[in-house]
Amino acid sequence: MREIPDLLVIGAGLSGLMAAYEAAEAGLRVKVIAKGLGSMHWSAGTVDVLGYAAGDKAVSMPLQELEGLQAVAPHHPYVVAGAEAVTEALSRFVALAKELGLPYEGAEEPGRNLWLPSPVGAARPVYLAPQGQRYGDLALAEPIVVVGFEGLRDFYPWVIAENLRKQGHRARGTVLPFALLSERRDANTVQLAQELDELKRVVTLARALKEVVEPGERVGLPALVGLDRHGRAMEVLQEELGTRVFEIPTLPPSVPGMRLYRALRSDLEGRGVEVEIGMEAVGYEAKEENGGFRRLLWVETATSARPLKHRARAFLLATGGLLGGGFDSNHEGRVWERVFDLPLAMPQNREDWFRPKFLDPAGHPVFQGGVSVDREFRPVSPEGKRLFANLWAAGNGLRDCDGIRERSREGIAIVTGIAAARSILVALRREKHVH
Amino acid sequence: MTRRLQTEILVIGGGATGVGIAWDAALRGFDVILVEKRDLTHGTTGRYHGLLHSGGRYVVKDPQSARECIAENRILRRTHPHCIEDTGGFFVVTPEDEGEYPDRFVQACAETGVPCEEIALREAFRREPLLNRRISRVFEVPDGAADSFLATHVTAQAARQAGARILTYHEVTGLLLRGPEGAREVVGARVEDLAGGETLEIHATMTINATGAWAGQIARMAGLTVEVIPGKGVMVAMNHRLVNTVINRCKMPADGDILVPIHTVSVIGTTDVRVPDPEHYGIEPWEVALMLAEGDKLVPGLSRARAVRAWAGVRPLYQEGYTGASREATRQFTLLDHARRDGVQGLLTIIGGKWTTFRLMAEKTVDKACEYLGTRQPCQTATTQVPGAEQGHYWLGHRLHEVEEHELHGDLVCECELVTRAMLENAVYRNPTLTLDDLRRDLRLGMGPCQGGFCTYRAVGILHEMRERAGEAGGEVDRSDWEVAYMQSPAHNRSLPPPSSLPLALSSPNLLLRDFLQERWKGVRPILWGRQLKQEMLDSLIYLSLMNVDHLPDAGLTSPMTAFYEQDAGDVGETEAGV
Ligand SMILES: Cc1cc2nc3c(=O)[nH]c(=O)nc-3n(C[C@H](O)[C@H](O)[C@H](O)COP(=O)(O)OP(=O)(O)OC[C@H]3O[C@@H](n4cnc5c(N)ncnc54)[C@H](O)[C@@H]3O)c2cc1C
Repeated sequence: MREIPDLLVIGAGLSGLMAAYEAAEAGLRVKVIAKGLGSMHWSAGTVDVLGYAAGDKAVSMPLQELEGLQAVAPHHPYVVAGAEAVTEALSRFVALAKELGLPYEGAEEPGRNLWLPSPVGAARPVYLAPQGQRYGDLALAEPIVVVGFEGLRDFYPWVIAENLRKQGHRARGTVLPFALLSERRDANTVQLAQELDELKRVVTLARALKEVVEPGERVGLPALVGLDRHGRAMEVLQEELGTRVFEIPTLPPSVPGMRLYRALRSDLEGRGVEVEIGMEAVGYEAKEENGGFRRLLWVETATSARPLKHRARAFLLATGGLLGGGFDSNHEGRVWERVFDLPLAMPQNREDWFRPKFLDPAGHPVFQGGVSVDREFRPVSPEGKRLFANLWAAGNGLRDCDGIRERSREGIAIVTGIAAARSILVALRREKHVH
Repeated sequence: MTRRLQTEILVIGGGATGVGIAWDAALRGFDVILVEKRDLTHGTTGRYHGLLHSGGRYVVKDPQSARECIAENRILRRTHPHCIEDTGGFFVVTPEDEGEYPDRFVQACAETGVPCEEIALREAFRREPLLNRRISRVFEVPDGAADSFLATHVTAQAARQAGARILTYHEVTGLLLRGPEGAREVVGARVEDLAGGETLEIHATMTINATGAWAGQIARMAGLTVEVIPGKGVMVAMNHRLVNTVINRCKMPADGDILVPIHTVSVIGTTDVRVPDPEHYGIEPWEVALMLAEGDKLVPGLSRARAVRAWAGVRPLYQEGYTGASREATRQFTLLDHARRDGVQGLLTIIGGKWTTFRLMAEKTVDKACEYLGTRQPCQTATTQVPGAEQGHYWLGHRLHEVEEHELHGDLVCECELVTRAMLENAVYRNPTLTLDDLRRDLRLGMGPCQGGFCTYRAVGILHEMRERAGEAGGEVDRSDWEVAYMQSPAHNRSLPPPSSLPLALSSPNLLLRDFLQERWKGVRPILWGRQLKQEMLDSLIYLSLMNVDHLPDAGLTSPMTAFYEQDAGDVGETEAGV
């Protein structure tokens, strides 16, 4: 029989994987199970920490905003973690990303948000960008040429350029033939990126780009410049063109998000962490313990063949709320957490879920609720009482944050993933001590 | 500056009825202008249930309506076949519907000439396996499913080909009156061109008010009182073809008793609640809950399927001097001859009825106009096919079939509803387009499970690209090749050459985006839970986190539709006791 892992992480999104990394680094035996791939595949692949504060105020120094956050959202995950933990977790991510060969960078001035062009040419507030997107920085002076591909349905260079111009930047759009990317007209961004893992194709693309790029321009391309050999492809392009080249994210599937996911996952597997996808956690077994706690024994998953029991000493719920599939809801206005039925701080009345305007700067209440945790990231009851002796929670399923609205999804995932893992380490060490 | 136009017949309202009148009158040789304040089918016609009535629903309660329905059902199958799916219909007796109604129903069908045949339960369940197994009797009737967007557009094209001028985004703000009190005459209307920003005076010998639930507002402009009973009905579209036959409860018409399969979805409806204003009403959670509960009685488990959208339309019911509950009002239509009713010349109001009877309503209205215009041309619409009729009846798989046959997967802009880039471009080239919502009605863009998550961005990108390619110049659009009959065919839209000029009324891409996202939100908000809520969060991730559309330039721009999409659909309207 295989050894029981120290930690079972439920959810393979950014928070689950970061927690698994932190715990494995510290020497724990870790296993990750997840139903699906998590939302990295849908995002821009950047690390957004805080782009807009209360009242839709654009944030330029996210870490300086944390104090203000405490006043308006005392249960916000950043507040729970504390400013120091936020800063430290982000540095930890930067170090890891570098180690993975997928470097992430912030603005020239430490602590400042970057503003990068979005797929419609709005300025996105980003704290850490993968190197490939870094030179989209709208604070840089060089004019931008956004290059698309004829008939590529997930990227429109002219809209991007027009909106950048409207915001005072020098930008223009142009297109190259689709055939430079692929012979398959129905290929999606991931398949196209894989085509550019081939060096020959990159060189041909560079030649075609030379024809349309004017001296002094930097080049914005859809984010599909290679999947596994992205770094090399970017280098070749910059070298051949003698200018800065950067990626602009596209409609999902997100190639930059996928690169990060794949790099993290293979790193974990290299450390002996098992990552099993296609495993939906559907239930658990717990026993009563002294002090009124319940101790989790195992989590059950449903697979096509038979239910499986996953035992561990500690469990981390990182299933990501409504978007990740950690919560479900019904037309009677109930929202529930799907594995442990944890109490949610959430309006339980459908009339209170939404505001009339889709783009309301205050967001929608149902997207802001979630699991309550204490300072150690352990789920608690509405009265603040711990529910299980060995359960932790992390990620965008935590209460009082609105990752989409705030542009803080990745920040929350990284910070809480690492913070929860550290709290787990402390608890398991203490336990060892006692036994 | 005010531009002046002259015509014989001015039709106000671009719903099924108004467009039908324009078609009929143009075929009879009249000079016709139709004005619609938004896009065609902005009103009830674009917010209905999708049922080509056999008449079965009315045989007991309103036999005259039933007779009209079955006659028109037969005609429309010939004149507009491609707008109709020949689904057939069942009237089913659930445990709650027993009693003597089913026998009365059979008898009344015979009396009104609505073909009706009782079929064996085994046969019914074979054809519709999800039907409630506790249903005790099933009657088959010739119901169908009809696409009112397409039908209205092709009828408008037919009218244009016969010489009519169709002006969308043209709103009537006043009637032109002549003569003293007592001998008043309506001689046309003052019209705002909402896209062009111009004011028009359209002078007409005869003005026809075909504004449905808005008819009272137009009549008031001539100092007349026309009491419209506005009855709001809510419908919910479920993400699958749960049935392939229209399913009606075999009982007196009531709430939530019809399930219509149309295109890729099934629609359960409706309710009937009085509202004060046909433009301003909300969808209440209880209405959605009621639809799901009633739907479960037809197809158990329907309420657990994925709902993709909810909407409501307002019944333009009219009864002279009538004030009771709106479900009790007649479904028959009324033609008000204001010369005889009120002593005001030059104005007719046509009101009530059903989509199914729009052609008949148009015929009667133009017959009346003929009396005043002093001609006696016979109506031709019952025997004239609209453009595209040679395609035959619509069938569900037609788009997929064409996409596969011609390998168009790479050109898909909307994967849910199989809309290709060329379909989108041609719809813009050949048809007035001001908002993406116009394209939704033309092509079903954004009507599938992801509710615009992917295609909204793509459509904006493509429209903007068209403008970019054409240069900023733009110019007057030549709509002589206005062509919508094959608008929905992926195969046909491969081969169309681009027309000589481009319609560059297209507004800012940022406004297009914001408007359509809000329009979609309005439609999904009432049904967001479960998987559709998760989907909506993904759409939010795309448009906020990834695109940052809420921080784009042009934040202050609005279109003629912005206010309509943004209106707070709070609790407007009151429940009718006992309905
Ligand atoms: C909930 C519901 C479900 C229904 N289901 C069915 C069904 O399944 N089958 C069926 O046969 N019938 C059905 N009906 C009935 C049918 O939809 C209507 O009878 C029909 O669509 C009415 O068409 P219309 O052209 O008369 O009115 P409308 O479609 O409302 O057209 C009136 C038009 O006038 C325009 N207008 C208003 N004011 C002005 C102005 N000042 N200037 C210019 N234009 C103006 C409006 O924008 C509108 O487009 C349903 C009705 C409802 C409410």
